[in-house]
Amino acid sequence: MRLKYLLAVTALMSTLGGTAYAQQNTTLDLVEPIAEYKIYVSEKLQQLVTDTKAFTDAIKAGNVDKAKSLFAPTRMSYEAIEPIAELFSDLDAAIDSRADDYENGEKNPEFPGFHRLEYGLWEKNSTDGLAPIADKLLADVTLLHQRITDMALPPEKVVGGAAALMEEVAATKISGEEDRYSHTDLWDFKGNFDGSEKIFILVRPLIEKNDPAFVKKVADNFNTVGTTLAKYKSGDGYQSYDKLTDDDRKVLASAVNTLAEDLATLRGKLGLN
Amino acid sequence: MNGSDDRLPPRSRERRHFLLGMGAAAGGALAAPAALAATQANAQTQDRAGNAGTQHHVTDAPTGDASTEGRWPFYGDFQQGIITPRPAAGMIAAFDVIAKTPKDLEGLFRMLTERLAFLTQGGRPPDLDPKLPPADSGILGPVVAPDNLTATVSVGASLFDSRDWLKPLKPRHLQRMTRFRNDALDAGICHGDIAVQFCANRPDTNIHALRDVMKMMPDKLVLRWKQEGSVPVIPPRPDGRVESARNFLGFRDGSANPDAGDRALMQRILWIDGARGEPAWAERGTYQAIRIIRNFVERWDRTPLGEQERIMGRRKSSGAPFTGTTEFDAPHYAGDPHGTVTALDAHIRLANPRTTGSEKNLILRRPFNYSNGVTKSGQLEQGLLFICYQADLEAGFITVQRRLDGEPLEEYLKPIGGGYFFVLPGAREPGDYLGRTLVEAVRAGNASPT
Amino acid sequence: MSDERGAGPVPSRLMRLAVVGAACLAVASGGLFYYATVSRQSGNAAAVIKVEVGAKACTPNALTLPAGRHVFEIHNTSDRPVEWEILDGIMVLEERENIVPGLRQTLAANLKPGQYQITCGLLSNPRGSLTVTANAASDAAAATGPDLKAFIGPLSEYKVFLAMQGASLVAATEKLAEAVKSGDLEGARALYEPSRLPYRRVEAVAMRWADLQTAIDPVADYLERREKDDHFTGYHRLEYGLFAANETASLVSVADKLVADANELKARMRSMKLAPDDLSGGAARLARRLADGKIESGENAYAHSDLADLNASLTGIAKMAGLVRPLIPDGSGDLAQELDARLKAARLSLDALKSGDGYVAYDKVDVAGRRTIAETFRALADTLDKVSNRLSLG
Repeated sequence: MRLKYLLAVTALMSTLGGTAYAQQNTTLDLVEPIAEYKIYVSEKLQQLVTDTKAFTDAIKAGNVDKAKSLFAPTRMSYEAIEPIAELFSDLDAAIDSRADDYENGEKNPEFPGFHRLEYGLWEKNSTDGLAPIADKLLADVTLLHQRITDMALPPEKVVGGAAALMEEVAATKISGEEDRYSHTDLWDFKGNFDGSEKIFILVRPLIEKNDPAFVKKVADNFNTVGTTLAKYKSGDGYQSYDKLTDDDRKVLASAVNTLAEDLATLRGKLGLN
Repeated sequence: MNGSDDRLPPRSRERRHFLLGMGAAAGGALAAPAALAATQANAQTQDRAGNAGTQHHVTDAPTGDASTEGRWPFYGDFQQGIITPRPAAGMIAAFDVIAKTPKDLEGLFRMLTERLAFLTQGGRPPDLDPKLPPADSGILGPVVAPDNLTATVSVGASLFDSRDWLKPLKPRHLQRMTRFRNDALDAGICHGDIAVQFCANRPDTNIHALRDVMKMMPDKLVLRWKQEGSVPVIPPRPDGRVESARNFLGFRDGSANPDAGDRALMQRILWIDGARGEPAWAERGTYQAIRIIRNFVERWDRTPLGEQERIMGRRKSSGAPFTGTTEFDAPHYAGDPHGTVTALDAHIRLANPRTTGSEKNLILRRPFNYSNGVTKSGQLEQGLLFICYQADLEAGFITVQRRLDGEPLEEYLKPIGGGYFFVLPGAREPGDYLGRTLVEAVRAGNASPT
Repeated sequence: MSDERGAGPVPSRLMRLAVVGAACLAVASGGLFYYATVSRQSGNAAAVIKVEVGAKACTPNALTLPAGRHVFEIHNTSDRPVEWEILDGIMVLEERENIVPGLRQTLAANLKPGQYQITCGLLSNPRGSLTVTANAASDAAAATGPDLKAFIGPLSEYKVFLAMQGASLVAATEKLAEAVKSGDLEGARALYEPSRLPYRRVEAVAMRWADLQTAIDPVADYLERREKDDHFTGYHRLEYGLFAANETASLVSVADKLVADANELKARMRSMKLAPDDLSGGAARLARRLADGKIESGENAYAHSDLADLNASLTGIAKMAGLVRPLIPDGSGDLAQELDARLKAARLSLDALKSGDGYVAYDKVDVAGRRTIAETFRALADTLDKVSNRLSLG
């Protein structure tokens, strides 16, 4: 069966001069990493739905302290799979947009999702008026889970996601603007780094042979990030972003930017456009 | 050493021609740097009338400065971009350095030197597989034109202070910039481990260079802040003289600057040599003071002309001092001890009182105007990206600024950023690198048993 | 990322565009491609290789052929229904099963150079050999690699499906084994069919491992001593014990072995490499195999739970079809709609026999009823073949 296809392509190549297919012998090697990644995404989404349920239940029960304690851990699952979650622009906006995305910021009644709840919990120290927003959030993450369950992940998005996560941290997170009310940014970082590193680890065997220096450099930078973040561990989570020293912020910024540059070549290295 | 000679303008007053000539086309046929210098004066007279009758869209690329082939030598005793004529576009980019060891630092300096040598001389970046991100941002097209780009690398006190193995080698006067009376420093646009001054005919050339450095060295440099500035291009007067450009207060800036073509003078006021008590590695370097000085231009424009001129100490229209008729006439304060002609607290009189001994405080200014959008109050956020060079930071900028503390002009100014840096000695030839003498001094220090 | 937001939830469209591009190029490829497609559809371009399957062996029992496409005609001269398979190691490349005594069946295969084995009739018969020699075309084919990128996403998603079903299979067979071991006949009976469903959902892949298939799913009809044969193992041995012999005592080791085989199958599915044609081609092969064999003959001779089996098989086929559906090029007429209609028709043919939460017992479905189902599966297989061809997977 396969042979016939190969013959057809051979004929095609002789017709067209044959450079178009030059370096794509190994692309099916991505099937396993992407399948593994899909399983990872599914597990994270399952976790996200479970955690969001507990988080929103606490809000609806008017338990401010409990809701605050559940905010950051709940977000981590989302942050880890952000490149995939962002495939759905409507849900990404509904779940994770920031006040800056709305005219008049926090005052805009359309401001939804995690950060709207964060704003209410930390700035207002109250759950007043948050119940409908909590319900909507739970519905949105559930819908996200459903949509992704049967979806074949586009390989470009998966492989490109490793760099995209670092790019996001570099562009809009290292400043501490993401979780500006709760200062739980380090939890988010951890999610972002884990998600990016997961992709890297999955495709690593495919590039290790041809480019060991690249693999080592990227792995070293992930290590740098890991040891830097580990300094701020506190219980099951992380200290407030205010505690991040200037020196460590620099180290993180450099590692993030270097990872973003290097991981941006992953797609090309794997023959994807 | 030849390189440094080439960079010296041939005659002192021609500094002014250079200054503006950079804004005009340098001509496409300039093969040798020496030829560049010789033809600058002609280049500035390029005829732009050709566009007058032709139709063009607003999005067409500007055609005024068609040639981008002019280049300054990268290698030489001294770094470029200090006595090099000031082109139309300038930028300061300040970075934090990720370097834990002397080896890291050497790697950083070598890579930075390699990038800047390429960028200032131009060339074609490598073509990569289209599935990969391109090697170059491409904003200058497939071939990087030199466009008279200069890049000047300097180091800040924090580079030394945060590294024990560098501390003993800090230049004598290098220090963290501290607040003067009128300053309102914003930490986000102050200081840095390393600063790079980019200057070119066009702002895009500077932006390209910055993006290249950031893309190539993210593991070594973290951008801390940057400020761009510009100098207006002005056609020369019919008599061939070129005027000083005006700042955003409407006054000519640079009229009384020391003559950068005077090598002996430059050696005296700029370059570190063995007689200054500086570490040996610092020879051929110089101190750089950078200040981002916001101008309250709305308030200034509502100030009576007479008061503006009194505060500044010059005529606004001509730039002449009250004791002269052209901007190039030196002011005379000897017969005016009470400030009846030129107020004692006029800006130019405080900055350079021209008394015995005040020549010790001479600095070489090389500022750019900046314009950054609108403040929260709806006012223009613009002013001066002040940059000056001197062999002794204490006797130079710091003394001059102390004298200016409390000047009436302060009501219209607010310094908000900048920092002090030390410009590294030049890289002398290919293979040499910026910062080599410092790295070698670290190694020598570590090698000694004491 | 922001530039992705506008793209919205249609990543499959991206892949589809890529395939359309590849297909447009393929249209320009001319002769050989045309030949490959047409010859497959007409099915008679190559000389037919005749093989006789007797009671004890095949004739000839050793074949040597050049690489490329060959059509085999299998003639069952024994007095039992038989199957005939080409094996690459333990992988089933092609097979025909349920060849009725006295009848002939044809089978087409595209063979790459290599050494293959052939199963001949009863599983206890010695295996034949098939040697495929290289030629210019196969050398050329081996030297190039097609643009397979469009299949990465669907194949990955299918691997995820295999992983999930593999996990369900292990869990369900373990539950069944527990009930058997505790002597809970009623409980075990209730767990028999549920334990089969994950297996049937992945059968398109599972049927490729001859050793596991023989261990997990042999039916007594294919074994020399039928229910008394030592090789009567796996699901149907359990089914026989639970529903015909009404005992669990003799089933303990059988159940344990099934759990072990399920684990092995799960592991192999996880590590296996899939090729593009494994989706539409694999689905087509399974649908045709069911239509030609099990649907009419029935398989669960003691529990009569075939309709639930078929429903699970259809779920597996629909999964594969759904994954390649977005890759069908725009210029394929209404092929995608045809595929939808065929899937729906097959589903409806089963739904018509629903009873309560499940289905009527299969022994209550007469020959005409079974034939109706078989026809819908055959039509589905025909359409899936068209899809395979349309995707130049041939």
